Amino acid sequence: MQGRRSTPLTRNRRIHAALLIPALALAVLAMAACGVTPQTTLEPTTEAARTARDLLMFVFWAMVVTFVLVEGALLYCLIRFRRRSGDGIPAQTHGNTPLEIGWTIAPAILVVVIVVLTVPAIFSNARAASPDALQVRAIGHQWWFEFQYPDLGVVTANELHLPVDRDVEIQLESNDVLHSFWVPSLRGKLDMVPGRDNKFTIKPEVTGTYPGQCAEFCGTAHALMKFYVVVETQAEFDAWVQNELADSVAPASALAREGEANLTLGGCVACHTIRGTDLEGKLGPDLTHMGSRKHIAAGLLENTPENMRRWLSDPQDIKPGNTMVIPELTTEQLDALVAYLEGLK
Amino acid sequence: MATVTATAPDTRTFSGTAWSWITTVDHKRIAVLYLVTSLAFFMLGGLEALLMRLQLATPEADVVSAERFTELFTMHGTTMVFLALMPLSAAFFNLLVPLMIGARDVAFPRLNALSYWIYLFGGIFMNISFVAGGAPNAGWFGYAPLTDTAFEATHAIDFWAFGLQILGVSSILASINFIVTIINMRAPGMTLNRMPMFVWMSMITAFLIIFAFPAITIGLVLLLFDRYIETSFFIPEGGGDPVLWQHLFWVFGHPEVYILILPAMGIVSEILPTYSRKPLFGYAVVAYSGAAIALVGFGVWTHHMFTVGLGPIADTAFAISTMAIAVPTGVKIFNWIATLYGGSISLKSPMLFAVGMVSMFIIGGLSGVMLGSPPIDAQVQDTYFVVAHLHYVLFGGTVFGLFGGIYHWFPKFTGRFMHDGWGKVHWLLMLIGFNLTFLPQHMLGIDGMPRRVHTYAADMGFDLWNMMSTVGSLMIGFSFLIFIINALRSIRHGEPSGSDPWDGGTLEWTIPSPPPVYNFAHIPIVDSRYPAWDLKRGGGHTGAVATAPEADAEADEPDIHMPNPSYWPIVMAAGMVLAACGLIFHQAFILLGAVLFAISLLGWIEEPAG
Repeated sequence: MQGRRSTPLTRNRRIHAALLIPALALAVLAMAACGVTPQTTLEPTTEAARTARDLLMFVFWAMVVTFVLVEGALLYCLIRFRRRSGDGIPAQTHGNTPLEIGWTIAPAILVVVIVVLTVPAIFSNARAASPDALQVRAIGHQWWFEFQYPDLGVVTANELHLPVDRDVEIQLESNDVLHSFWVPSLRGKLDMVPGRDNKFTIKPEVTGTYPGQCAEFCGTAHALMKFYVVVETQAEFDAWVQNELADSVAPASALAREGEANLTLGGCVACHTIRGTDLEGKLGPDLTHMGSRKHIAAGLLENTPENMRRWLSDPQDIKPGNTMVIPELTTEQLDALVAYLEGLK
Repeated sequence: MATVTATAPDTRTFSGTAWSWITTVDHKRIAVLYLVTSLAFFMLGGLEALLMRLQLATPEADVVSAERFTELFTMHGTTMVFLALMPLSAAFFNLLVPLMIGARDVAFPRLNALSYWIYLFGGIFMNISFVAGGAPNAGWFGYAPLTDTAFEATHAIDFWAFGLQILGVSSILASINFIVTIINMRAPGMTLNRMPMFVWMSMITAFLIIFAFPAITIGLVLLLFDRYIETSFFIPEGGGDPVLWQHLFWVFGHPEVYILILPAMGIVSEILPTYSRKPLFGYAVVAYSGAAIALVGFGVWTHHMFTVGLGPIADTAFAISTMAIAVPTGVKIFNWIATLYGGSISLKSPMLFAVGMVSMFIIGGLSGVMLGSPPIDAQVQDTYFVVAHLHYVLFGGTVFGLFGGIYHWFPKFTGRFMHDGWGKVHWLLMLIGFNLTFLPQHMLGIDGMPRRVHTYAADMGFDLWNMMSTVGSLMIGFSFLIFIINALRSIRHGEPSGSDPWDGGTLEWTIPSPPPVYNFAHIPIVDSRYPAWDLKRGGGHTGAVATAPEADAEADEPDIHMPNPSYWPIVMAAGMVLAACGLIFHQAFILLGAVLFAISLLGWIEEPAG
């Protein structure tokens, strides 16, 4: 930079332009990226998730202000004190005690403010459930979620139904390795640790379907361990419970009846339960009302006949490493099996 | 009684040269070995990262399999932490600590060589797993019970566990060596209060290693018991607790973060004053805050476990201690900026990297404060937000700082400059690529993308950020190639730098480049923090280095005796690693390793040290 003379004014303009371009680029990108993000933490539907979001936004802006001030000071020094030809040795300052005390206290004040806001949120996140809370056991398996409602007698998988505006106490367990239960719009995550009783309470406030995902690395198919939470009115929830409590519906067509016969052929009996049939396996998800779920393969695929056929043809291709074993079936056998399973409303 | 001339190896032949490197105990040559090896592993870890980024560039991609992806992120983390950044810091300890404190070598030169060879063999041992039945695949944190034989029956985890044990030995030996060197071998007059800041940070790092590594050592021993003799320390069915592993791992793992960042902070604390021509502002406070960070760093480990369910009291306590670390960290940054204030700032490539370190580390520190709040952490823990945060600290902080160090001290290693223009290109590309890679990952985390996933669905809204991130990572890779080419070319064809190209203030700039094997012809007498500046600028502290060092060197060379070269360190390291191989491949190796170890131990004891 030596020798190139610029007035302070033109230099400032250059700096402004240099800062403006990346800022504009970022803004454009941010707008472009404002697509649909169903799993975002920024659209809370419970008190717990809202507390976390508000805290996040507050601390984020506090950090942005800090960032601008500190980086600004850094850039100012770099530009203002650039070496110019003929510069001698600058004044040799070694320190300044009042200043140093000042900038020890400043960050201390900032973090005290954050702590003061954080602590009540920690305790409210850990609040106890009201006595009439709905009890749910969520059990992590490699790589799917089992949901039990002990008071209602319902057992299902990968799709958690909850009534709106009622406390729910969710107890987290694991059948094998660590998993983590995370539905960003409902609450921050809590781990599922084998041998440990973790639980939390939430009260969903808005009906809708919310995606969740395992958030603790649990082996090969960790990325493919997803689930959905369906928050619905009490009446809808009750109807769902009634349907879940019933045994499986009998196959309605000849094809589906053939499919029921193929359950043995496919080896399904070893792991799955379909109440009302001979299937009482405990290792895999309960399939009694499989056809009524919106997704299959732990929230991975929409529950359509085509997807069911893909899954049954090659579960390892869709979810590598999973423990489902199924022999190769003929096209006719697959058709029948798909028809039967899709009929299990 | 060996002298310099007597021990000088015959470097005219290739085998003579190779032998001289294999048997070297010279801290400067060991520094070069560390530097080259750690950069090679850095490249390997970087390639692993690029493969992951290619897989994640688009949703539901099929570049690598899910199984391979777990190996890639496990080995990327393990390699970068233990095989690239720690040893790269060790290269700087080796090169600089003796030079900066006015010593002729480290306290235990053969032990120093042993540390290096254990590191090299340990790193190779761990990576052999890729072709010997599968690489480690449970994450660099290896959370139980996923590491148990019930879930991983192959030797993948054993390679990881034994590999980390071996590398731990190397780190602890090196740390003891440097603590003893720094405490005992400083030149007359160099009180602790006059030590260069890099030496301060080296000493604190060495203490951190000594106190932190035993925790993971114990954890790994228990893990290996669980795997080999079916105990159940971490297995709930047998009465164990998987959370115990997490405590042991993070009691080590959090100080490890400071082990990785403090050396870079030390480097920056040397570079900023040099290129501003001003002493470090608030020297004592910068040193104390380094010590404070290290101390408090032992009391924050469960902030890695806010989602484990330890309860609101524990979460509150550790949130407070975590936030407290922001204070000494902030103080360091303010002092660095105050060092620049009023200076005469020359923006050569080393300075650009140092400034890049400060400004990127700020971002990592600020996102760290966000993560320190448990309700926020519960949302973004185990997401790409944390990936972004840790890379702003360890890449934005450590890697930028260490690269700054390479550009700054390259002339001292080689007597030649690295090309400054290409250095600036490297810096700019790396800065842009780095931010393009990791800034969007904050958004990914907040939008709900977990980490350690090998794929994501197209309808999650993750596409754009991931594509940006991949493009950025390729830029980083490209910038690294520029660096390698620049470095290789500069070794032979760089512009000669002379002994003091940057107007440095510390002792290493008072001796020739590259330094003679004995470093200092006369041990200097120090009476200030920047003795070389005093020498050049006059004014008071003339006792520092009273005579021109080059003239000195020729006059006194034959009379200085240095430690003999020794091949026992490499034999002993080979013995150790062979024994570990025995626990995986065939028991015969255990015996072979033990015999080698015993022989080398005897040889070591009997050997005249020079």
